[in-house]
Amino acid sequence: MAAGAAPRPARRGGRREGGSNGPRREAAPGLVSVMESVEAVARTLLSFGRLSRGLPFGRAHGLSSRDPLLPLAPRSQENADPQRTAFLLRKQWTLYSVTPLYRFSNAHLRDYARLLSAFIAAEKQKGLAVEVGVELDIKVAVSSLPYLKGSDQDQAAILVQLSSRSPASPKNSEEKLIWSGWFCCVSGDNLSKNVPEDFTCLPLFLVNGAECYTSIVGSWFQKTFDCSFRRLAISPLILSWMAAMWTGCKVDKTASAMELVFSVPCLPQPLDISYAIHPEDAKALWDTVQKTPGEIIQEEVDVFMDCLYSHFHRHFRIHLSATKLVKVSTAIASAHCDGIIKFLQSQYLTGVLMLLTELAISQIE
Amino acid sequence: MDETVAEYIRRTVLKIPRDEIKTMLEKWGLLSETQLQTINFRQIKESISQDVVQLCEENSVDIKQAAVLDIIYNHVYPNKRVWCVYQMKKTGEEAEFFDLTDFKKKFKGRLRSALKNVTINFREYEDNAIWIRIAWGTPYTKPNQYKPSYVVYHSQTPYVFISASVLKSNLPLLCQALVLASNYHDIREMELRSHSLNSLKDIVFKRYSQNFQTHYPRPLQERNVAPKSDLRIIQENRNEKERIERVNREVFGDGPQPKLEFAQYKLETMFKSDPQMDVLDKKEPFRCLVKFSSPHLLESLKSLAPAGMADAPISPLLTCIPQKARNYFKIREKKHFFPESFVSP
Repeated sequence: MAAGAAPRPARRGGRREGGSNGPRREAAPGLVSVMESVEAVARTLLSFGRLSRGLPFGRAHGLSSRDPLLPLAPRSQENADPQRTAFLLRKQWTLYSVTPLYRFSNAHLRDYARLLSAFIAAEKQKGLAVEVGVELDIKVAVSSLPYLKGSDQDQAAILVQLSSRSPASPKNSEEKLIWSGWFCCVSGDNLSKNVPEDFTCLPLFLVNGAECYTSIVGSWFQKTFDCSFRRLAISPLILSWMAAMWTGCKVDKTASAMELVFSVPCLPQPLDISYAIHPEDAKALWDTVQKTPGEIIQEEVDVFMDCLYSHFHRHFRIHLSATKLVKVSTAIASAHCDGIIKFLQSQYLTGVLMLLTELAISQIE
Repeated sequence: MDETVAEYIRRTVLKIPRDEIKTMLEKWGLLSETQLQTINFRQIKESISQDVVQLCEENSVDIKQAAVLDIIYNHVYPNKRVWCVYQMKKTGEEAEFFDLTDFKKKFKGRLRSALKNVTINFREYEDNAIWIRIAWGTPYTKPNQYKPSYVVYHSQTPYVFISASVLKSNLPLLCQALVLASNYHDIREMELRSHSLNSLKDIVFKRYSQNFQTHYPRPLQERNVAPKSDLRIIQENRNEKERIERVNREVFGDGPQPKLEFAQYKLETMFKSDPQMDVLDKKEPFRCLVKFSSPHLLESLKSLAPAGMADAPISPLLTCIPQKARNYFKIREKKHFFPESFVSP
């Protein structure tokens, strides 16, 4: 989990070209600093060449043009009414990366819903769909979530929802939501600016619901827009970034513990280790480690994790660095290495989506 | 026969794996041999259970008799429950002769004087274990047969194993009744919990092979043993590997480990770091909660050092689990002389 040979980005010079600390909109101070730190991380990650499209310090060049965007991130937060995003919180979302969609249009969402509905019905006829013995009348809704984006260049997020009504219940009874999936792109300029006209970039896909519906909806999109889906795994390296980054976020209410879950499967008897740190203590540690304001570098993440590992080693004489970090859980979000995320705070939703978008883009390329 | 009794019997039979049903009904003894022969044990469980209920109707089985079947099931499958260990204390006199009848009378008496509605069953087993099943009610409702508490008491020992599905509010009363009936004067909960009842017994009765700090002289034969494996494979770090194995054996003991599924440590120690790193230097504890879980925790921990994931010897916080008979710990910094060592209250 150490940085190893990863290049350290030369951030100091290029930062904040154009002088001053950049314009700051009237967002709550906590919000701005976290948006900065989350953005900073996204930028820093890219400068590994790991996540960017090859330019080792690609993002560094874009920094000055990026700066005006900085206040935009808080602005989109202000637009993101917590009530509108509440339905996205506290649910388990499975992540996929999606290649650009060909000839997708925001104007035809109703048509898409109709076509998808017909497709699902046809699959049911073939006997391929859904659960055995359950006769469900499935309704499809496709809508746009314009407030879920990072910059103006981003495509508005698209939400697909499947609801059902059992034929036994009366016609106007409530429909039950059985499956949700949404495509989004938060600050994905890296991808969108390099893609021809007819393509729509929505590289991140999040799903909550049964696998059988996911594969039907996925096949329809694949067939209709010539795109492809791939499960998005999250490496232990990225998980440790998330742990560090999210620990530093300021949370209004009483935060939940910062928890790291490690797995040691290859023993005669598998072992799981849960290491939870009081959020105030974790933040206090991170605050002393994270020295440069407004940016996070790999070395700081390494020091943070090493501190936690050595505290553990002091007590148990076990090398956590030799085990596999599989899950990270903080007050603002939790992430699992199989590509499963849970958003816990609406004010940080866009920030987390931005990081996930970057991961999705790097998987596509 | 009451409908609730019928339903209870039906559900209890459904819990039992199909191949075990006949044996358990025989142990139960409420149905005669002839009656048992009328049941087709090859049909689906739903049908078997209905047949059983039918026959119980004929015999007018009551709830107390039905509860015995539940005890039998739980005795065969104790690992479906989580068990907590309690230790009773006497005021230091010699062991008195244990009178089972007296115990039962006092136990029932204490519970019944506090709660009118309670179903109590006793069943004795060969290893001096007394199994007690208690279904709890309130002054206004009949006992809930589906959430009984189980107590396993070995009368020759001060230990009691209580199954953690107790409706929490009844626990103090249960403890009182146990102390009174067994002529002890106090009871305390040990920080020891597991699904494996037998392993808990192994730990508190010291039935596992314990580790002793003995010097293991390096056996001379080792050098002369002909290598069985492929000669092309070279064992690097052979000495280190052997040292790890030896030390591991010393701290864990040679025999099989008691089976526990988890261990939990609440850490309230100071965070210490290399001063060069210039990180957190607080005067308050760094609060953590660490949980280890595994299908067989101690075997898993034992394999960590040989796998290279832990130092050998591994921390005594882990190896002390069977000796201290606990798997829940609170660790604080030891104040005075040995700042590197820990105290667990």
